Amino acid sequence: MPLSTFRIFFQTGAWLIVAFLVLPLLVVVPVSLTDTSYIGLPKEHLSLQHYVNYFNSPEWLHATWTSIWIGLVVATCASALGTSFAIGCWFLSDKASAIARWVLITPILVPPVVQSLGFYRFWVKLGLIDTSAGVILAHTLLALPYVSISVFAALANLDRNIPRAARSLGASVWQTVLAVIVPAAKPGILTGFVFAFIVSFDEIVGVLFITVRRVTTLPKQIWEGIQDNIDPTIAAVATLLVILTLIVTAIGALRRT
Amino acid sequence: MTTPILSVRNAVKRYGQVHALDHVDLDVADGEFLTLLGPSGSGKTTLLSAIAGFIRPDEGSIHLRDREITAAPPEQRDFGMVFQGYALFPTMTVRDNVAFPLKVRRRPAAEIAARVTECLALVQMEQYADRMPQQLSGGQQQRVALARALSFKPQVLLLDEPLSALDKKLRADLQWELKALHDQLGVTFIYVTHDQDEALSMSDRIVILRDGKIQQQGAPGELYNRPRTAFVADFLGKSNFIDVSVSSEADGVFHCQAKGAQFEVDAKGASASQVSRVALRPERLRLAEPGQEFLPATVKQVSYLGERCQVIVTHDQLGELLVSCPTWKTGINPRAGLPVSIGWDRDACVPLTND
Repeated sequence: MPLSTFRIFFQTGAWLIVAFLVLPLLVVVPVSLTDTSYIGLPKEHLSLQHYVNYFNSPEWLHATWTSIWIGLVVATCASALGTSFAIGCWFLSDKASAIARWVLITPILVPPVVQSLGFYRFWVKLGLIDTSAGVILAHTLLALPYVSISVFAALANLDRNIPRAARSLGASVWQTVLAVIVPAAKPGILTGFVFAFIVSFDEIVGVLFITVRRVTTLPKQIWEGIQDNIDPTIAAVATLLVILTLIVTAIGALRRT
Repeated sequence: MTTPILSVRNAVKRYGQVHALDHVDLDVADGEFLTLLGPSGSGKTTLLSAIAGFIRPDEGSIHLRDREITAAPPEQRDFGMVFQGYALFPTMTVRDNVAFPLKVRRRPAAEIAARVTECLALVQMEQYADRMPQQLSGGQQQRVALARALSFKPQVLLLDEPLSALDKKLRADLQWELKALHDQLGVTFIYVTHDQDEALSMSDRIVILRDGKIQQQGAPGELYNRPRTAFVADFLGKSNFIDVSVSSEADGVFHCQAKGAQFEVDAKGASASQVSRVALRPERLRLAEPGQEFLPATVKQVSYLGERCQVIVTHDQLGELLVSCPTWKTGINPRAGLPVSIGWDRDACVPLTND
């Protein structure tokens, strides 16, 4: 096919956009390999010292572990609640459930700072400041809309007569939900679980508002690293996260084909 | 009728001001193929939903033999149900779909396996047992749905427009199969449709509903040949209507006066004072050369349908009449503008009472 001006223009544009999206991510890779003790490009040779530092630092490892387990608990709670909510709304399908759906996605619409301020004021009263439970609760609220939206999407094309069919065949309401509706919603639940984990793993504004010393997640540790001593370990952590994400995405893509 | 397997007494269901069911009484005999027929909004689906237990009537009661089930949840009624959109469980194989009602009843695994094979054989779907529903055509999916609804040997099978999503030829094939299945199993079928051909070809008895009320019920032939109201005459097959006044009655025969015509009509049990209209089936009208029959008319339009020929003729005072005659025995070659004459036998006319 001959390359028209039109095609050249749009192909160049597309590659520029890809570069714009990816380059800032890739900058962390050389920085992570620097032989200096401050953030910058390598001076004389490449070095893995900052990776060694990450794996030997109790603070970094602890923050990473905190983020992982909080993320898993949040994903589990948000998946259970969001799925129940979405299935309930699907069954009702009336005006009230449509309104409830809108109310549930407000955490996506409200600016994170405003939301976090709200968490802070409330959590003080509830005594949840600087506790894992407080972080889990806040993150579950933030992750709920993602789960319910993806479960709604999975149920959107399900025949409304299916629960009726199950009931007429002798299944109780609970058997119908567990044996028929939940399996149909499963792709949405899994997507929602992953999304909820990422929302929690990624979240920083809320954590900065509602934790002090006792709870430190990975984003908070990175944030404090930048503030205090511009430690290149941050770049090493960032590179590891990028690699991890690529691996997970690749596995996902391979499984689909 | 012997003791009915299912009886609906005085059922009322209101949606706002509208009566979806308006004091309906219905008895279903054991082993019967009963069809609820009516246009959309007639209440036929509401009645079936009430029988299935998906909605609860505002008034009245439903009995299964001598047990009241008006308020029983659907899973405690033991009715199989087949839906227009098949409603197969998308995450289960054909085999698991058919096994579902047996699994929730906690039958032993060996019995389930045997029964599933048996039911799939019943609908000629054995070789598809390990497919997913999405991999099957519409007709195959409906067969699986049928096997699933029959696998637990329900007392009554409810069918909600099961063939309306299928194409015409498949629909005709499945009508034969459904009827054969009914005769073979002896299960009571309650069938909802808006399609008069389905109703006529399969049912033992048809119940015609309109605006939440039962208009008329009876065997297909009885309803077709002896509709009581213009609605039934027009809904079940086509009819010509002629306004008449009965001038005299003798020996079960009315002498009728219509505009520009006089003819005799078999009373067929109707009382002269109530009759102001008669219905005439298009296939009962005869088309002939002018002067050979008693009513002169002119051909307005001809529609050739292969086996039949439909002709619209106009009469000066009666207006348009539809004539349907077998192509092979049309005595004349009808074309627009041709003067003809039409006639009919005394027993072709059905006297109607006002609805």
